[in-house]
Amino acid sequence: MKLPARYRPRRIVLRDGREVTLRAIAETDAAEIVQAFERLSAESRYSRFMQHKKRINEVALQRGVRPQPGREFAFVVTIPAPDGIDIVGAAQYLAAEQGNAETCEFAITVAEDWRGSGIARHLLASLLRRARRDGYKTMEGWVTAANTSMLMLARKLHFKVEPVPGDATVLRVQHAL
Amino acid sequence: MQKPWLVQYPPGVPAEIDIEQFASLKAVLASSCARFADLPAFNSMGAVLTYRQLDEASRAFAAWLQQVAQLRRGDRVALMLPNLLQYPVALFGVLRAGMVVVNVNPLYTPRELEHQLKDSGATAIVVLENFAHTLEQVIKATSVRTVITTQAGDLLPPLKRLLTNFVVKQVRKQVPPWRLAGAVGFRQVLAIGREHTLDDVPLTRDDLAFLQYTGGTTGVAKGTMLTHGNMVANVLQVAAWMSPNLIDGEEIVVIPLPLYHVFALTGCLSFFSKGAQIVLIANPRDMPAFLKALRQTRFTAIIGVNTLFRAMLDAPGFVDVDLRPLKLAVAGGMAVQHVIAHRWKERAGVPLVECYGLTESAPVAIANPVTIQEWSGQIGVPLPSTDAAVLGDDDKPVALGQVGEICLLGPQVMKGYWNRPEETAKVFTANGWLRTGDMGLMDERGGIRITDRKKDMIVVSGFKVFPNEVEDVLTMHPGVLEAGAIGVPDDRSGEAVKVVVVRKDPALTEAQLLAHCKQHLTGYKMPRIVEFRNEPLPKTNIGKILRRELRDASHPTGAQAMQPAVARGPA
Repeated sequence: MKLPARYRPRRIVLRDGREVTLRAIAETDAAEIVQAFERLSAESRYSRFMQHKKRINEVALQRGVRPQPGREFAFVVTIPAPDGIDIVGAAQYLAAEQGNAETCEFAITVAEDWRGSGIARHLLASLLRRARRDGYKTMEGWVTAANTSMLMLARKLHFKVEPVPGDATVLRVQHAL
Repeated sequence: MQKPWLVQYPPGVPAEIDIEQFASLKAVLASSCARFADLPAFNSMGAVLTYRQLDEASRAFAAWLQQVAQLRRGDRVALMLPNLLQYPVALFGVLRAGMVVVNVNPLYTPRELEHQLKDSGATAIVVLENFAHTLEQVIKATSVRTVITTQAGDLLPPLKRLLTNFVVKQVRKQVPPWRLAGAVGFRQVLAIGREHTLDDVPLTRDDLAFLQYTGGTTGVAKGTMLTHGNMVANVLQVAAWMSPNLIDGEEIVVIPLPLYHVFALTGCLSFFSKGAQIVLIANPRDMPAFLKALRQTRFTAIIGVNTLFRAMLDAPGFVDVDLRPLKLAVAGGMAVQHVIAHRWKERAGVPLVECYGLTESAPVAIANPVTIQEWSGQIGVPLPSTDAAVLGDDDKPVALGQVGEICLLGPQVMKGYWNRPEETAKVFTANGWLRTGDMGLMDERGGIRITDRKKDMIVVSGFKVFPNEVEDVLTMHPGVLEAGAIGVPDDRSGEAVKVVVVRKDPALTEAQLLAHCKQHLTGYKMPRIVEFRNEPLPKTNIGKILRRELRDASHPTGAQAMQPAVARGPA
C-alpha cells in the first residue's frame, strides 16, 4: 500500500485575528491532549463522548496519537504556550467499523475559548479532503441534538443531517466524498 | 398567515385576546379581588381564604418584603412551598411588591436547591419548615439573606392550626431539625406587614414575573424568564379557551398538581381570573386524604396529568366521588394514554381535554376545544393569539401532514433564559419561532399531533428529566465507571428513568447506587430500573456512546452491538 503524503503544518489566521497552527497529530501530543481534555467543560466532553467522562482512556489515547496511515487521520490545532504548545482543537476520522473501507466516522472538539473563530470549519474541511484521499466514499458523524453549532457547521459544509430512529438524543450527519 | 384551526374554535372563543386588558398579574389580582371579594378564592384542608382576605394578606406580605426586608423591584424571591394557603399569599405578595417569583420544588435535594438559588440570584426565600433543613445545608453558598419559614397549618383557623402544626411536627415527625439564623415566621411577617404601607410599583408587561426553572440538555436547570405580559397573555388565553364551559364566580376547581409547576400555576391563575374557588391538594399521593377532599367538594373542574388521572381511576374509593357536577377535566404536562382517556370518559362523563405547552410558553399554547365529546388523540389547536407551525430542518414550514418540529409564536412565549443568551439563541429560529423540541404534524383543520420528541429528555409524570443530569450524578459515585440514562415506557408515569451502569467497584449494589442518587436527585428523576453491565457501554469506533443500544435489557455484549450484521445503522 502506498503511504499517503505527510501533512505539512499550516499557519491559519482566524476570523478574530488570532493565529494558530493546524498540523497532523504526533505521538508526543499525548500529554497535551490530556491537558486539553482537562480544560474542557463538562458540556464539551459530553458532546464528544456522549457521556460524562472524567478522564481520557489511556488505551484510546495511545491509539489516537498513532493513527493508522492511509486509514485514519487526526489533526490538532495548537498555539504557543509557556511549556511548548497548547492544543485548542482536535479532529479525527477512522473507519466507521472494522474492515469497512467505504465509510469513516469523524469527531471534532474545540476548546471553549476558541469557539466561533472558525477552527471547527477548518478542521472539518481538512478532514473531508484527507478522507477523500484515503479512498473513503462517505464520512459520517454522530452529533447530540443539543449541539446546535456543530449541526449548523455540518449543514454549511453540505452534510446531510438526519434523525436516528429510536434515539432522539443524536443526529447522524453524513457527506459523500 | 392564515389560521386553519379557527374553524375548530367553539362559539364564544375569540380568535384574538386583548392583552391590553391588564398591565400585569397585579392587575389581574386586583380585578378578581374587586369583582369576587366575598367569594372563596382558595380552599385548603377545608379552610377558606376569600378573595378579599387574599387581597389583604398578600398586601401585608408585599409590604413586609418592601418595607421591612427592603427588597427592591426585580429582586428574586424563591417560594419553596407545596399547595397550601401560604402559596397564593406569598405568590401575590411577591408580585405585588414588584419582585420576581422563583418557584422551587420543595422536594429538591441540596444539590438541586443550591443550583437554583445561585443561578437565580434569589435574595429571599419562603420555605415550609418541613424542608428548612435542606435550605440550611446550602444557604451559605447562596445570596439568600431573608428567610421566611412557615408551618403547614399557619393560615388555618386557630384550633385547626395548632392541631395541624402539632400533628405534622410531633406525630408524623415530618419536620427534621433545622436552624436558620434570622428566619422570620410567616404569621409574624403578615402581622408586621399589616402595619406598613405598600408602595405601588407601576409594573409593565415587560417586567419579569417568574424565573421558572426547567431542565436543560446540559444537565443543569435554566431559568425561563416569564414576564407579566407572558403570564397575563396565557391567563387570558386559557380563560377564554375555557369560557364555553365555565361561568364566572360559580366554579370550583381542584388543583392536585403542585403550583410550583407552571401548568398548575397558570391553570390556577386562569381560574382565579374567573372567580373560581380553587381547592388546593397538598399531596395527591396520599390517596385517602385526596379522595376525602374530593368527596367533600362539589367540584366542577379539575386539572391533572395522565399519571394522576390513572391513580384516581385505580383508587378503590374513587367510586364514591360525585362527578356529576364536573364540567371540565384538563390534562397536560405529558401525553394522555388512550386507555386512561377512555376510562375517564366512561367514569366521569366528560372527556379529558388535553393541552400542550412548555415552560417557555407560560405554558399553554395548544389545546383541544373544551367542548369536545371524546378525547381526540391530538394535542389540539393553537390558542387565541397563538401561531403554531411545523418546521423542517431548514426552519421552513413542511407540507401539510408532513412531520417536522412544532414551533410556536405568541404573546405567552418567554423572553429567554436567565443569563443564558446562547441557550436562548438556540431555542428560537431566526424568525423568532420557539422550537418546542417535539416532532409532529398538522392536519388541514389545524389539529396537531405529536409523533416524536426531538430533545433528549424523559418525561416522568409531566416532569422533564434530562439523561445528562442523571448520568452526571451516577458518575459522581466513585464505584461507577460508565453510566447511561434513557427513558423507557412506564404504565404509571408515562416514561421512567432506566440507567445502565458499568461498575468500577464490582461490589457496588443497586441499593447503594440508589441511595447515592437519592442524595442528589429529587424523586421524579430517580432511576426506576438499574441494569449493571460487565462490558463497556456500546460505543461507535470513535468513542461515542450509543444510547439507543441501552434500551434493550437483554442485550448481547457491547462488542457485538457495534457490528450489526445488517446494513450499517446508527448502532
